[in-house]
Amino acid sequence: MSISLKQLFEAGKQRLGLELVSGGEISLNRTIEESALNRPGLALTGFFQYFAQRRLQVFGLAEFTYLKSLPQAEQEIRVRALLKKKIPGIVVARNRYPVPWLRDLAEAFHTPVFRTPLITSNFINECILLIEELTAPRGRLQGTMLEIMGIGVLLKGPAGIGKSEAALSLIKKGYSLVSDDVTEVIRQSGRLTTYANEMTRYHMEIRGVGIVHVPSLFGVSAIRRKAELDIVIELHPYVNDLEEERTGITPGEIEILGLRRPLYSLPVSSGRDMANIIEATALNYKLKLLGHDAAKELNEKIIEHFLRKTGKTDGR
Amino acid sequence: MAAEKEMIREIEVLNAYGIHARPAALLVKAAGKYRSDVFIGHDASDEVSAKSIMGLLTIEGHKGTKLRIRTCGVDAEAAMNEIIKLFETKFLED
Repeated sequence: MSISLKQLFEAGKQRLGLELVSGGEISLNRTIEESALNRPGLALTGFFQYFAQRRLQVFGLAEFTYLKSLPQAEQEIRVRALLKKKIPGIVVARNRYPVPWLRDLAEAFHTPVFRTPLITSNFINECILLIEELTAPRGRLQGTMLEIMGIGVLLKGPAGIGKSEAALSLIKKGYSLVSDDVTEVIRQSGRLTTYANEMTRYHMEIRGVGIVHVPSLFGVSAIRRKAELDIVIELHPYVNDLEEERTGITPGEIEILGLRRPLYSLPVSSGRDMANIIEATALNYKLKLLGHDAAKELNEKIIEHFLRKTGKTDGR
Repeated sequence: MAAEKEMIREIEVLNAYGIHARPAALLVKAAGKYRSDVFIGHDASDEVSAKSIMGLLTIEGHKGTKLRIRTCGVDAEAAMNEIIKLFETKFLED
C-alpha cells in the first residue's frame, strides 16, 4: 500500500478536521507506506533503536508535556533528531497549535505539520480507518446491486436480459436498490462494500420508459446508499444443454477483488418470473447462513433412508 | 464462423456537452447491434459496457476526455468502426 499525503489531507479535511500548518503543497507529495500511526514519545527521549519512521507521527498531550519539561534548546535538538529520520509528517492533536520554532524547523526539513481538533486516541483510530479506506482495493462491476432482506445481491447478465426489469419488480416487492447496471465495489478486510456511482446514484434505466429516479417513484425506502455484497446472481438465456444447478448442494463461486462469493446462475425463459426466483435465491442463502441448508438436509435424509433399507450403517 | 477478435482504440470526446444522455443512448443503440462486447472507459480498470446507458453516464466523458474503447467478439472491427464514427461526428451534435 502507498498513499500520498495530499490524498490523505484532502480526505481528512472533513473527516478528521485536518489543517495544514506548515510545509506547504510540495511537502504533500510525500507518501505514507503504512496505515499505522506512531506516537514518538520514546523517540523524543532520544531512543531511536526502534523507531517507526515511515509512519505519520502524532503529537498528543504526552509528547507536549514531555517536551515542555525540557529547556527550549533541548526541545529543538530532540525534534530535530526526529525530523532527521525523514518522517512523512507530524500531526498535532487536541486542537493545539505547533509553536513557531517547531513550524520553522519542520519547514526546513520540508516536513508537513498538520493539526486536528480531535483528541489523540480518537484521531489515531479515525485516521487508520481513513487510510485503510483510501488504500482499499476497489473496482467497478457490471451489474445491478440490490439488497434483499439484508442480503446484498449483485445481478449480472448480458445486456437486454432483463436485469433492470427484475430489479424493478424486486423494488416493488419492498426491497432496495443500491445501483443500476454499474456498481462500485471496495474491499475492506473480508468484506465487499458496494455503492453507486455518485453521478447516476438512485437512477435506473428501464427499456421503453427511459431513465427514472427510484426514490421519487417508490420512496426513500426503495434505496440504499451502500450494501455488502453477499451473493452474485447471473441471468443467462435458457439453453437446453447448459449445465444447470438442479440441487443447490454445490453453488458456483466467483472471485471479486480477491474474495470469493457464491454465484448462482439462473436461466431466463418466458414464463419464469425472475424477480420471484431471485428473491427465493437470496432468501435461501439467508437460510443457509442461519445454518439451515435445505438441499443438503434433504439429501442426507434420503441417504439415511437408503442406508436403513439396505441394512448398512455406514459407507457413504 | 468468424474468429473472436479484440480491438482497442483511444479517442477524444469532441462534442461540447460530452457523453450525456443522448450520446449515451446513441452509443447503446450502436453497440447493441453487434454480437461483440463493447467497453468504454478511461483505462482497463474503470471500463463499462457500452450497451448500458447507466454505465456510460458514469464514465464522466466530458469534452476533451480521452477514452479507451475496447471491442471483443466476432464482429469487433465493425462495432469499433461504428462507435469511433459516432465520436468523430460528435454524435451529430454541435
